Amino acid sequence: MDLFYSDISKNQETTWDKLLDDLNNTTKYNPYCYQQDFYSVFKHIILSLLLEKEIVLLDSDFSKEEIQKLTGLTNLNKNIFPIIKSEKQVINNKTELINRIKDTGSNWSMTLFTSGTTGLPKKVVHSFQSITRFVKTTEINKANVWGFAYNPTHMAGIQVFFQALLNGNLIIRLFGLSKEQIFNSIKKFDISNISATPTFYRLLVPYQDSFVCVKRITSGGEKFDEKTADQLKQIFPNAKFTNVYASTEAGSLFAANGNNFFIKPEMEPFVQIQDNELLIHKSLLGKSAFSDSEWYHTGDIVKIVSENPLQFQFVSRKNEMINVGGYKVNPGEVEETIRKIEGIQNVRVFAKSNSVLGNIICCEVVKTSDEIDEVSIRSFLQSKLQEFKIPRIIKFTDKISTTRTGKIKRS
Amino acid sequence: MVLLNEIINTVLKNRGKEAVKDIDESFHLRNDIGFDSLDLAELTVRIEAEYNVDIFEDGIVNTVGEIIQKINNK
Repeated sequence: MDLFYSDISKNQETTWDKLLDDLNNTTKYNPYCYQQDFYSVFKHIILSLLLEKEIVLLDSDFSKEEIQKLTGLTNLNKNIFPIIKSEKQVINNKTELINRIKDTGSNWSMTLFTSGTTGLPKKVVHSFQSITRFVKTTEINKANVWGFAYNPTHMAGIQVFFQALLNGNLIIRLFGLSKEQIFNSIKKFDISNISATPTFYRLLVPYQDSFVCVKRITSGGEKFDEKTADQLKQIFPNAKFTNVYASTEAGSLFAANGNNFFIKPEMEPFVQIQDNELLIHKSLLGKSAFSDSEWYHTGDIVKIVSENPLQFQFVSRKNEMINVGGYKVNPGEVEETIRKIEGIQNVRVFAKSNSVLGNIICCEVVKTSDEIDEVSIRSFLQSKLQEFKIPRIIKFTDKISTTRTGKIKRS
Repeated sequence: MVLLNEIINTVLKNRGKEAVKDIDESFHLRNDIGFDSLDLAELTVRIEAEYNVDIFEDGIVNTVGEIIQKINNK
């Protein structure tokens, strides 16, 4: 049985043959993809590729008002049109399907919305070429089994989807599942590749068992701390660890070993660092409304490790810096320090507005030891951080809130 | 104002400073208790959580007595 997709939380197993049946029997197409079920989203994307029609991905948790603001439409079903038989040939097998998708032409486009930390999400339109720029199809990759740990309507999820699809790999849903369900899935399907945010990985550690099937662990979206990386290496002893830099605007751009990102020579003309901010040339971006200036300001603050060849580390997001009485605090740095404390599993640092200092640093902590309390955290931090960076309000909680993309929530 | 005393001493202890006994209304927050602006910021958050009043909302508060006044006037 050649499986295409599985989700153990729903007892769902879909074969490539079932996918082909579903595709061949579809008679209508709606450019707006607004579905909760991962398989439905994947099928919808593949159908758009076969038809070479535009697809607009909408998060399943967008409200009706948000949909209307983003698309200008009150009824998404108004745009459904029948599929004319001559436009879509019957696909007979998996290889034929993959080859057809690889030939997708310039009429196809995919619209995504950034998760938008401020205000309304931004619209970004990608071509097949820009979205699959970093997909690698080789013989070795054909045996991969992917743990799917992102929202399927977000850029990172789309990148994983295309990498898996074009190699004919099995996709296993991990996003939104419990820790036990995730490990059960890894074991049951011999998952070889997982790509996820550091926040996702932090929820997996510590764990008593280890899984030799996992060959590669990729992370992106936030800086990875060493403690989590070390714990993950024990759970996945055979895995190589890679960090990728990707954005909704540009897709995947650079990879790193550890936290040092390096730029391939052919990419160098398209990358600039100005006032510590990473700028990307517009030719690397999807077609979108805001790419009218030559360089795109990513809002990512980096630290140069070496000039030639260019290597850098990500320090923070520009708009995430918290201003405490005129001092700038990087919440990522504070989180990283707190995570070093034995008995702390996860932490979220955020700002609360304050009449004395403008903002005050607060944090939520998930602890695994009863010995951890406010005073012990603070006394540890006193030797590690400047006083104004130390959280003044510490709350203990069972779960850290994350954004729809799976990153730590800052507000 | 036992609770207010407790809050003041929690802030002090969190900073690794000595607790202050027998706090009375004349105590100056900076000079007598030894608060700096970070401590005062924390103090406002803790008082707000307990009494639902932002003591620094309309400007500087200098003494324990002034805090008590703010709490009573809410």
